[in-house]
Amino acid sequence: MIDEAMLRQVIASVLGVPVEAVGPDASSDTLAGWDSLKHMNLVLALEQTFGVEIPDEDAADITSYALIKMVLQHLVAD
Amino acid sequence: MNRPVAAEMARRPLDVLADPAASLAEIMRAVSAGEADASPAAAHIGISAGATVELLGLYLRRHALLAGVKLQVSQGNFDDPLGDLARFAEAGVDHLLLAPFLDTFEPAFEARAAMLSDADVDAREAELRGRWRLVLQGATSFRTVILCGLHRIAAPVAGGDRLDDILARLNQVLREEAAAYANVRFIDMAGLVAGLGRREAFDLRFYLRNAAPYSPALLDAWARQALAVSRAYGARFHKALVLDCDNTLWGGILGEDLAGGVKLSAQSYPGAVFHRAQTEFLALQRQGVLLCLCSKNDPGEVDAMLDHHPDMVLRQADIIAKEVNWSDKVANLRRIARVLNIGLDSLVFLDDSAFECEAVRSQLPEVAVFQVPASPPDYLAVIASIKDLFLAGGAVSDGRAKTEQYRQRAQALAEQQAFATHEDYLTSLGLTVTLTRDAVPRIARIAELSQKSNQFNLTTVRYSAPQIEGLMADPAVAVWSLDVADRFGAAGLTGVVVVRFAGDTVTVESLFMSCRVLGRGVEFAIWPVIFADADARGCRRLQASYLPTAKNAQAADYYDRLGLPLTAEAQGVRSYEIALTDFTPPPSPWIEVLHD
Repeated sequence: MIDEAMLRQVIASVLGVPVEAVGPDASSDTLAGWDSLKHMNLVLALEQTFGVEIPDEDAADITSYALIKMVLQHLVAD
Repeated sequence: MNRPVAAEMARRPLDVLADPAASLAEIMRAVSAGEADASPAAAHIGISAGATVELLGLYLRRHALLAGVKLQVSQGNFDDPLGDLARFAEAGVDHLLLAPFLDTFEPAFEARAAMLSDADVDAREAELRGRWRLVLQGATSFRTVILCGLHRIAAPVAGGDRLDDILARLNQVLREEAAAYANVRFIDMAGLVAGLGRREAFDLRFYLRNAAPYSPALLDAWARQALAVSRAYGARFHKALVLDCDNTLWGGILGEDLAGGVKLSAQSYPGAVFHRAQTEFLALQRQGVLLCLCSKNDPGEVDAMLDHHPDMVLRQADIIAKEVNWSDKVANLRRIARVLNIGLDSLVFLDDSAFECEAVRSQLPEVAVFQVPASPPDYLAVIASIKDLFLAGGAVSDGRAKTEQYRQRAQALAEQQAFATHEDYLTSLGLTVTLTRDAVPRIARIAELSQKSNQFNLTTVRYSAPQIEGLMADPAVAVWSLDVADRFGAAGLTGVVVVRFAGDTVTVESLFMSCRVLGRGVEFAIWPVIFADADARGCRRLQASYLPTAKNAQAADYYDRLGLPLTAEAQGVRSYEIALTDFTPPPSPWIEVLHD
């Protein structure tokens, strides 16, 4: 299992929003500032924090909290 | 890696920033927290790059904070250094980082290199020189201009290839241009990449998708260099190196081992390390660094070493101030600063004793302190850091033979290739704009550009391919696409104008362009053709508007610059109207406009 408090914290830090704004339904549609540049930083930050390497085919697509959580859980389990 | 958040919170921001293992998210939080704390020095840097380097700003702020500087970062537009200069100057930017990028020459330039003729390379070189000379000329009012060299991304070929040769030439041009200005510093990006290793330096995922080739590790190393070459954005200017003697200038303790017993011979170990160290210090002295001694020793014995010891590299004449006595080093450093009439923050202190280093660090925090490591081979790395502090961005003194050589060569070339004005430079490019109406084969590209253009997009209408197809079929609408090319090649379809005709009025429904082609006047050159067409359809009036979004502030005053009168403004929406007969767009004689 991944540490969801940590996940929220990382997303909030990268997007520059309060942690409370990062709910389970957060996505690039609901959070202002989650643009393609910030998304790139987010992928890099997630990789460093969780010690994983997000594959190219997922990197561009995980633009919601739920998708990120799913991909991370999958990678951490491997 | 999964460090608990609570433990991190307990660390001070500066400790997190100094930790090489800190993660990106930790650095982001620590930078924000560190900047919120009161900080004396402040600086503002503008980044103008031909690649996406948004994250570089974070690392610049990290290293600035570690040097006691609160750094504000402004990002420029994509590959528009001349435009950025004007915007940055207006925004109060005082330092500039210019990062040209190979791919902006033309797509797949690296692959094309092998096919370029010598004449092609000459032309590239002249274009590069002309463009960056104009930029540097316009940047003389900035305190520091950091010009970054070009580098390859493709894997190197054993023994070198033509791309290496071309890059060496182009980088030489940039170095020469940089050398002509006192405020310009050069960063060797190829060296930075090599130092880190290609695999570590790049992240090809984001290179191909977002033109963002650099890994966080490379950005971090880059930011560290920017700090060094700008001397902490002007907050730091080291002038003097204050050296301990025992286990710093020689191995061993002079008072115990005596002159014959200290280790200093170039032919012995660890003597060779100290011989090398003294030689490095002497080289610094020759480049303008003031050398001082601060040692707890018998002054007579140290003088005897300087005067007579056969293996000593440093001699009396090389030392400008000596405090050899038994009083404490803090007092001695104060005295050295006073004697030389320089600030304590101009001193760099090197000593092998952890106790002395800590005493100076805690009581004279302005002094940069280095400790000689216990293992002699590690000493050379410490000396390299010290050299960096004094020499990064150019030597202290003016006796720089190499720089002078560059300067003369740059001047000789100036007569051949100088462009007096931006317009001369643009003329040399041989720009052409080809306007095509309702180009059905280009529908997919037009729709794609409408989806992707954010910064120079006046109304930000996003079109699908079927919508564009529908507009092209509509007799009351014209979809103009524009292809931009210069003598180096074609940039392709990089702009679109959608106009709608109703009665005697033509309305600009959409106008968007790729940032690549802005700053060359293309956005102004297109109108005579479009208006002539509207005129032929019986239109007498023109209406246009700007709708603000989060990203298109750059285009807010575009119609004003075009010369249209503002008729209304509400909630950021700016409306314009003019009679076509009253309207003359600003001239752009350097562009040849073609149309079908």
